Amino acid sequence: MNTFILLLGPPLVGALMAAVVRPYRSIVGWTNALLSLVSLGAAVSLWRHILAGDVLTSGPREFLRADALSTLLALCVSAVGALAAWLGPGMGGDDGYDGAQARRFRIFGNLFTFTMLFAVTSNNVGFMWIAIEATTITSAMLIPLHVTKASVEASWKYILIGSIGIALAFAGTVLGYFDFVNLAGRQEDALNWTVLMAAAPHLHAPVIQLAFVFILIGYGTKAGLAPMHTWLPDAHSEAPAPLSAMMSGVLLAVALYAVIRWEAVANAAVGTGFTDGLFIVLGVLSIVIAAFSLVVQQNYKRMLAYSSIEHTGLMCVGLALGPLGTFAAMLHLLNHTVAKSMMFFLAGRVLHRYRTTEIGGVSGLLRTMPWTGGLFAAGMLAVVGLPPFGLFISEFALFRAGFAAGRPWLMGLVLALLPLAFVSMIGRLNRMLYGAPAAGIAVGEGSAWPLIPLGLCVTALVVLGLTLPAPLQTLLERIVEIAGR
Amino acid sequence: MDSVFSQLCVLGSSLVLIFGLILLWRRGVTAYVTAFKWQSIVLSAVTGIVAYYGDDHELYWVAGALVVLKVLVIPRLLRRMQRRFAAERELEPYVNTATSLVIAGLLVLFGYAITRPLVALSQLPTRAGMPLAMGLVLVSLFVVISRKKALTQVVGFLMLENGIALLAVLGTYGIPLIVELGVFLDVLMGFLVMQIFIYQIHETFESIDVEQLNRLRH
Repeated sequence: MNTFILLLGPPLVGALMAAVVRPYRSIVGWTNALLSLVSLGAAVSLWRHILAGDVLTSGPREFLRADALSTLLALCVSAVGALAAWLGPGMGGDDGYDGAQARRFRIFGNLFTFTMLFAVTSNNVGFMWIAIEATTITSAMLIPLHVTKASVEASWKYILIGSIGIALAFAGTVLGYFDFVNLAGRQEDALNWTVLMAAAPHLHAPVIQLAFVFILIGYGTKAGLAPMHTWLPDAHSEAPAPLSAMMSGVLLAVALYAVIRWEAVANAAVGTGFTDGLFIVLGVLSIVIAAFSLVVQQNYKRMLAYSSIEHTGLMCVGLALGPLGTFAAMLHLLNHTVAKSMMFFLAGRVLHRYRTTEIGGVSGLLRTMPWTGGLFAAGMLAVVGLPPFGLFISEFALFRAGFAAGRPWLMGLVLALLPLAFVSMIGRLNRMLYGAPAAGIAVGEGSAWPLIPLGLCVTALVVLGLTLPAPLQTLLERIVEIAGR
Repeated sequence: MDSVFSQLCVLGSSLVLIFGLILLWRRGVTAYVTAFKWQSIVLSAVTGIVAYYGDDHELYWVAGALVVLKVLVIPRLLRRMQRRFAAERELEPYVNTATSLVIAGLLVLFGYAITRPLVALSQLPTRAGMPLAMGLVLVSLFVVISRKKALTQVVGFLMLENGIALLAVLGTYGIPLIVELGVFLDVLMGFLVMQIFIYQIHETFESIDVEQLNRLRH
């Protein structure tokens, strides 16, 4: 059967089932969880095609297309989608959500996964835009799953800032299309990325530069780049855990994906210097703002959210550092997806037990929930970039690329900022892990099986920290070629 | 014939921009909804004119979809919300009216500056309207940032979309129809979700003033 159907079909079926079955039954959740593995399998199959050297396409005018870059993102999205399907609400048992909430999560969570998968496999940058806009709508519906003043506020900021940002990205897309039409006349498939790329070397430089600025600001808003990041800590901290995991783990990556697609066009048209400069400015600004916000942070979900901004900033800087930097940025993207989605699930378990997101309200985590606490600690060490975890390797590669690219001052600045984040996050981690738990906090893990997939995440991070498997290396090298380096 | 065509386009684009500026000096939401409705009517008319002179039948469909969506459906929904929140006027925006108008003027000038390469490159008779469309995009962005009522922000967002639609029609005679339809669907869904949230804000905070949305900081 068509791999794309196997990839995109399961989340649609899951959403449809949840919509049809009223009232909600846990069988929907279980079917959804099993189907999510089909999606993941399809993504792995795409990877095998890439390794064999062919790029799968499907539909009229190559409507869907999965090159190496699409494949990496499809892997990340379907993996985190599967985690959310298995660990999300509505699998039976007491998870703090009622039937209506579980149903709503299964409908919009699946649609959210679908729109992200469609965004990364669509060959048409117009449809890519439509899909990314739809991610805002589907995910916004899930933020106020528990209606509180804070979650209503977060959802409003998210949908307004997100929609405006995405609208600007659309203006950029129109400008890019304008440039193409002036060059080659109107064509039905002019928005196909492959067609755009073929024409890119002849595009008119000032127009494509203007288009790229709009696109970077627009999709950068969704990627959480400063100064358009203001929605992100609110949305990530107020959303239910599985949604935070998906937003932080893959939504940011999908937005960055859209930027990279256009970066390739812009680089082919005007050379790499232009995009490099913009990436460095926004990337460094994001790292600065995230580092200083982490210092004053008193809320552990917001702490993780700011850490996401920091890592997106790092990836953005990496994209400006030539082929080695792009390689490192993509490896970092993968590592960050694994680490951060796991951390938000763990934060959800902590929140469920302690009923607060304040760091001051959580103590003795290792005593109350030894496994959750242990994984949380391991994840935090990974997120701040310590060995033997994958993020250490990708950050190291990124710095090496920076020095090799002749940007020692830039690297020095970034290196000076990272310890700020490091010290504040480790300090807060200590406060949560040790000490005596407050009276009335139950001891014991509760439902323990969700720890198995989360433990697998830690294992994956360690593996990525010790070795770079050859299939992954090939995949990343292909991406560097695609990014126009 | 071309000159009539291009003059009509400039006239239409100017009207579209002027309806956008109404958001800056009127206070009542009723006026905003009316302004948005008329702006959408002119936008559909410009699209129809480009379809006629440019001999592009796809664009008639786009003009039709614009009428249904942005002249009939969305203003009706806006009107219903506005009746519900009639007492809530934009009394003290973050930036006062006089300053807002000066800033809007500067933004339109800036729109002219950044679209210069576009106008220089294009051969189309419609090109002279593009700076006005870009001006509307920037002015709408400013409206969203400087106004306090959630409903005003939504109208600002819708006008931003109108500005981009105008830019697409004038610059390229419209993006491919199938993509355009997807965009319309997104706009409608996005608007509906925003509407749900506005009711939710009203229920939780008993007002739609976004100034109270200040719980989440740092």
